[in-house]
This record gives sequence, structure tokens and C-alpha cells, in this order.
Amino acid sequence: MDISKAPNPRKLELCRTYFRTGFAFLPFIWAINVCWFFEEAFRKPAYPEQSQIKRYVIYSALGTLLWLIALIGWIIIFQTNRAAWGATADYISFIIPMGSA
Amino acid sequence: MEKPINSATIWLILLNCALFVQGERTKDKMYQPILGASCFRRLNGTHQTGCSSAFSGSVGVLHLVNTKADLDFLLDTPPAPPYAPMIPPHLFTRDNLLRLKQAGPANISVVLLINKPEQMTTFSHELNCPNQYSGLLRPNSIETVTCDARNPTNSWNPWGTGLLHEDFPFPIYYIADQEEIEKLETCFKDFNLNYTTHAVRRLCAVEVKSFMSAAVNTEVCMRRTNFINNLSGSKYCDPLEGRNVFATVYPRNSPENLDVKKKRNANPNEKFILVTCRLDTASMFDGVGLGAMDSLMGLAILTQVAHFLRQTLPPQDSLPNPYRNVLFVTFNGESYDYIGSQRFVYDLENKAFPTRSTQTTPITFDNIEFMLDIGTIDDIANVKLHTLKSTVLANKLLQQINSYAKSPQFGFGLNIQSDVSHHLPPTSAQSFLRRDESFPALILNGVPANKFYHSIYDDVDNVAFRYANTSQDFTTLVDVSDAKGFQADSLQMKVRNISSIVAMALYESLTSKTYTGSKVASPLLADEFLYCFLQSSDCPLFKASSYPDSPSGLPLPPMRYISVLGGSQESSGWTYRVLGYLLSQPQVNVTKENCTILPLQYFAGFNGSGECRLSTQNYSSALSPAFLIDNYDWSSGNYSTWTESTWTQFSARIFLRPSNVHQVTTLTIGIVVLIVSICLVYIINSRSEVLFEDLPASNAA
Repeated sequence: MDISKAPNPRKLELCRTYFRTGFAFLPFIWAINVCWFFEEAFRKPAYPEQSQIKRYVIYSALGTLLWLIALIGWIIIFQTNRAAWGATADYISFIIPMGSA
Repeated sequence: MEKPINSATIWLILLNCALFVQGERTKDKMYQPILGASCFRRLNGTHQTGCSSAFSGSVGVLHLVNTKADLDFLLDTPPAPPYAPMIPPHLFTRDNLLRLKQAGPANISVVLLINKPEQMTTFSHELNCPNQYSGLLRPNSIETVTCDARNPTNSWNPWGTGLLHEDFPFPIYYIADQEEIEKLETCFKDFNLNYTTHAVRRLCAVEVKSFMSAAVNTEVCMRRTNFINNLSGSKYCDPLEGRNVFATVYPRNSPENLDVKKKRNANPNEKFILVTCRLDTASMFDGVGLGAMDSLMGLAILTQVAHFLRQTLPPQDSLPNPYRNVLFVTFNGESYDYIGSQRFVYDLENKAFPTRSTQTTPITFDNIEFMLDIGTIDDIANVKLHTLKSTVLANKLLQQINSYAKSPQFGFGLNIQSDVSHHLPPTSAQSFLRRDESFPALILNGVPANKFYHSIYDDVDNVAFRYANTSQDFTTLVDVSDAKGFQADSLQMKVRNISSIVAMALYESLTSKTYTGSKVASPLLADEFLYCFLQSSDCPLFKASSYPDSPSGLPLPPMRYISVLGGSQESSGWTYRVLGYLLSQPQVNVTKENCTILPLQYFAGFNGSGECRLSTQNYSSALSPAFLIDNYDWSSGNYSTWTESTWTQFSARIFLRPSNVHQVTTLTIGIVVLIVSICLVYIINSRSEVLFEDLPASNAA
């Protein structure tokens, strides 16, 4: 879908829907929202709905960033401690490495 | 006319081309496979042992090691690591292997053991104290009281290096075939001599694949295998598991056990003399290792004793006690912390032996009069009867044994000594004694003399066996004066003598009468038995104990490693048939058609014509109770916890590995070409109008 062809209220509606959907533990939706509406929010000449779109884009970006930090943090903690955690680590894994602790 | 000739010529040319073209794949031009046997990973409750390669195979530059100096060179100043030393058995020592392990996979990535045994004097990688952490334990300790590992000379395996219980970070591959060794040596001599320039030229290297899935210990790998989230469904390890084979000298009639719903009760009147031995053996390499001296001797003697008693004993109801019987059990997996006997003891305690499906009365410890365990008989002239405590029973049996061993009538000329101490050999009886130290267990065991215990070299040569191939009837006993052409010092005669002595003593204790006959165990049976188990399963004894005209065995000896569920289980299968045949009673009046329901069984017999016999043999499970008990504490040491890792393949191949400079250059050129091509595409794309001037504008949205 080419976003530039949609009417402005439709753009706002889309952006809002994406932002809200992201709360269902779907940070990728937020990331997509940021990429998709970045142009509309910051580069396009001003129009009435733009300020709201801008807000949603910024919030989505913040959410994405928080998720990113949290995920990276968890991955580092998990990978460095997996062997030491023993059974617990196995129970929260889906893929267990072959031939090592 | 011209056209057909032309096309014919073209076809001819094409056909010629096809003849010259060889459909050899690049892979086959680069690599040459090497046949051999690999070391693999086993795990117990606390450790992992054995070897594993890297996931996609380990590669090392071949290096022939002839002397210790060659090894020092590799370890101190390796010019182009990682290396794959080719080691002859006499240098495959604990010191050397631990040094290689310490050098790490960056320096030593593969170890090849080559079959050049000329300078070898000993080769045993079992511990000095086999089954050191099981059996009869010291109070408040995890170690056995029956052997002192700090005093190797007085241990049960003085030549053991314990390497079987080490964990190696590299694969170890055993190459037995001289042609394969030749291939390796030629490749080494052609490409790898002149060590100074190793770093800058191509070298002959070997790649060994033997990647093991399991790691850490049995607890971890069993948890991962049974794991509910295990999406791929992959198995990491399997418990060592096999079958014990048992048989009685008299059939057991237990019609009261036909009712499946009834509670099973033991019959307190039944009394058994338990005669046992070990069925399995062990070695470092997959599929190699006959255990000729370390456990086959015991099995041969047990079989002979069974045969002798079957042939000489009067009917059961004419015995002084008509409820007495002899129960022969061959335990599987004894090399790995007494798997078979631990399970047997566990089953006896739970009234689960024999299983309900056998439709016989369960046996309890109260039914066992005493146990005679046949251990390793390395040297027949030096055999002792071991007991924990001096008992009337032990003294009586020893006196009976010696009365036959020294008897001038038979001329065996042997003397069995008594050993009453905690210094008990590592045999199945320990599982019984651990439950109850006052259990009447007597162990017949030779003084350790096997320098190749639990190794690939415990073979035909180690026991000096020569197959006589007499084609004579081996199913009857022979007169003591008739040696059937065997030398007095031949293995067959040694087995005959010791078996006869044991069998006669058992005969006396069952019938309360001295054995006065002149028949002894048959050296022909020993000859056939050893041939089957040491050289070829396609042999007269195995044929006689199978169904008539059933497919003959492979011309290879049966595998005697316990293995896992779904493994070959060859040795228990053959032992089942042999014991079944030798311990059964012929039923002359039963026709082949009526001889289908167990315990009636149809055997080919010595001449292959077929005979119906009343059999008594059966299997019992040899899976450690540790795998049956819920939430078993794996590190408790109560039961054997050995598992075997799974793997996908074993393979080894040699190829020419380019020098590092060569490899780096190739990679660099590749990267440069990639970058240049990306730039080119970009430039061409941006100036596409020069090439495609006349094209209409793109209509893409």
C-alpha cells in the first residue's frame, strides 16, 4: 500500500492502530510503524493530523528501543548463564545445543 | 543421403565422448575415505567420558609418530597446527594421551591409533579397579572396598591406564586394516616430510567426523531427551541396555501362575544354586573388542558346566531334595557398573524375576541356596575361590572342588586356593553382597594376568586359540582319557578341565554323591563355542542351536558390548540359543508340527535334522534400575547410570589441505571480486540509459 495516496485521516487512523497493536507484546509492529510513518511525521509539509502522527511515531520508537534494550540484555544474561543455570535454562529453551553443556 | 550420415557421425562422436568421460565427483577426487572404528562418548551420573569431533568434523595434519621424540616435537614446536598424530599402540599410554589432551584442540585435533602392535606389551584402558565406584562400597564412601586404586600392583587390572574413563576433546580413530595404514603413511611421506616449510605449503590432512550429541552427564542428557519442549524430537543419549540370559537345569513347572490376575507368590520350597558369569565386554572403539580373556572364558566355562550337569544329573525327583535346581544366569552390562546383576537383584527384591510373561513362579532371595560366580579366568593354573567370610558352605564347596581338581582319576592336576577377604574380584556377586554382606556368594576368579583387559587386543591371539574344526559331535560328554586330539596345554583342554571340576563339585552338592563317572566336559564343545564367539557366527554350534535351515550367522564374531536398546544384541541372542539347546531335554515323541509352543522348542541339532526339545532358557532385562525409579538421584551412586551419546555418523577421510597463506589468498580474492562486482553493478545500473537508450520509461508503480 502506498501510504502517500491515502487521505490524511486514514493515515492517522492507521498509525494509531499500529501503535495500539504494538502493546500486545509486538515490538515489531512499533518498529514498522516508525519506518512507515517517519516520512509523514517529520518530512511532509504540515497538515492537521501530523502532530498526532508524530506523537505516535515517537512513542512507537521509544517502545521499540525499550524492547530492544530489554531483549539484548536478556539474551546476554541468558547466553552467558545458560550452562550454569542447568535444568532451569533447559526448561525455558526450545533449542538445546548438541554436544555441549 | 548426406543427412543421415552426418547425424550418425555426430552420435558416434557423442558416444565416444561419453566413453571417455568419467562421472567422478569432485568430492571423490579430493578425498580418500579411511576405514576404521571410532571412540565415542558415554556418560554416567557425574561425568562424560570418551571422545567427540567438532560438529562438522575435526581436521588435522597427519603426523606419523614412531618414537616419543616425534610426539615431543608435535607438542613443543608444532610448525602448522592442528595436527593428527598417528600413534602405534605402545605409545598410546596414559602419559602421552593426557599430554595430547592438554595441548588442546588447537594443536591436536585428531588422534589416530594405528594397528602396529609389534612393540606393544600391555594395552588396557580400563581402570586399575574396574567398576571402582559400584559394587561393595566402603562405609560412607563412593569407592569400592574390594580394590585399592592407590596400589595398582595389587589391583584387579594392574595394567589399566583408566583412559576409558577420560574425556577427550578430540576424536580418536582406530585403524586396524594394514592397507588403510599404508594409505595414511604414503600420504604422510609424500606430502608432510620436511617440517621446516610446513606452514607455507599444502599438507596431507585427515578429517574425522564423530560428533556426539550428549554432554555433561546422564542427568543432563536424559533430561534433555525426555524434555517436553524438545521440538526437534532429537535424542541426546540412550541408557546402556541389553538382556540377561538365564536357564535352569530342570524345567520349572508352575501351573499356578497361568492366571494373569492372581498375585504372584514365591514357592519357599524351591531351592536354587545360582551359577553366574558375565556376558558382555567393553573397549574404547565402536564395534571392536572381543573380550576373549576378560569375559568369554567365564561364559565358556558356564556353558560347559551347564552342558555337563544336563548330561549327568539324574531326574529332579530322584534328588535328595526334589525341589533343588540350578539357575544359570549370564549378566549383561557388567562392565558398566554391574547393570545386569543390579537389575537382577532389584527384580528379585520386587518379585519381578522371572517376569509374569514367562508363566513361572517368581524367585526371591530365600530361594537361593548359594551363588557361584565365575569371574575372569586369566590363568587356569592360578584360580582362587573368593568369599567375604569363611563359611561352612564355602569350605565344603572348596573341598569338593579340590577333590576333583587333584583327583588322580581325572588328572586335572589343579589346586584351587581359598581367599577370604574384602579383596573381592569385580564380578556380579558384588551386586548381591552390597545388598546383604552375608549373602552366600562364592566367586571363582583367576589371579589377574590379562594385559589387554577390556581392549581391542583381547582377541584370539591373546588366548592363543586355534580352531581344530573336527566336525565331530560336540553334544556328548567325552571320556577323560580321550583328548580328541587336543594338546594338553590348548585352550580347549583348559576350559574342559576347569569346567569339569566346577561341574563335578556342583553335581556332588546337588546329589550328595561323589561323581564316579569317567566322562568329562567335551573339549569339542569348547572348540566350537570359542570359534563361534571369537571368529565366526556362521559356525556349527550356532547352527545346531537355531531352527533348522534358518539363515546362518555372519562370518564375524558376535558383538559383545551391551550397547543400547535397538542395538545388535547379538551375543545375548546367541547365548540364549546355545544355553537353550544345551540345557533342554529331547522330546522324542513330539513331532515338528506340535513343537511350536514354548517351552517346547525346535532346534536343528548337531546333524541339522531337527529335534524337539523341552527348553528352560529365557531373557530378563538388563536396564539399570536407575532408569526405572522416578526422580532417581543420579549422583547417588546406588545404581549404574551409564548412557551412550547418540551420533549421526562415523567417518574419516584424507585430503590435501592447502597452506594457510593459500587459504587466506583465496578468501581475499573472493571478497575483492565480490566488492568489485557490486560496484560494477551499481555503476552500470546508474548509467543504464547508455545501454538501453531506446527503451520506454519504466511502468512500474
